[in-house]
Amino acid sequence: MSGAASYLARRAAQKERVRILYRRALKDTLNWAVHRHLFYPDADALRERFDANKNVEDIETIDRMIADGESQYNKWRHPDPYIVPWAPGGSKFTRNPEPPAGIEIVYNYGREDH
Amino acid sequence: MQSLRDSVLTRLRVTVCRRQFALMQDVYATSSVQRLLCTLAGSNHDQVMARVIGLVKKFDKIDAAKVTESADFSKDLSLDSLDRVELVMAFEQEFSIEIPDEEADKLKCCADVANYIQSAPKSEDS
Repeated sequence: MSGAASYLARRAAQKERVRILYRRALKDTLNWAVHRHLFYPDADALRERFDANKNVEDIETIDRMIADGESQYNKWRHPDPYIVPWAPGGSKFTRNPEPPAGIEIVYNYGREDH
Repeated sequence: MQSLRDSVLTRLRVTVCRRQFALMQDVYATSSVQRLLCTLAGSNHDQVMARVIGLVKKFDKIDAAKVTESADFSKDLSLDSLDRVELVMAFEQEFSIEIPDEEADKLKCCADVANYIQSAPKSEDS
């Protein structure tokens, strides 16, 4: 019984790993593609590579394949990935806009006479 | 003399205040116009929901007729885990936000996505 439970836990962990690997690889594909229309065929090719091994059942083989995929991802990772401007590391992160013209602080408001 | 100065100053201050008030009104007017013109993600829950649903309907593996606010992506719309990753990528592109990995797993229906986008801290109006 514990064998079945550990098998299921391992399968769930593998699913999680594949999901995260696919997400990162897809984002990396977008980093490498200069334009959106170049990205779509690349993304389809990536999806085909994942779908090709969809029905593999042997758990050791799956582990090996995931490790292989992760090493490939690390090898081809983009050196300067796109970061959303407002996210940490983005070009607009913690850059606040100037207040509109006409807004100013009056420091001695109401105490001009004293 | 002091009272004269005070009265003069009060009058002056009133005029200045009025002008400043007019200026503020002007600034508020322009900013509200800007708010109407730009498609701000964090503006209105209904708008966000409409955009999310429109995006989900355009996704080619989904039957557009089945899409509702609370339809579960994996159960009702029969998406597998990789399709959901692609969908989350599409949401990130549309609203130009970053959705972390652990949050991406929790987004199960359109309402979840809209709530997350509303709650995400952002300053897109700069």
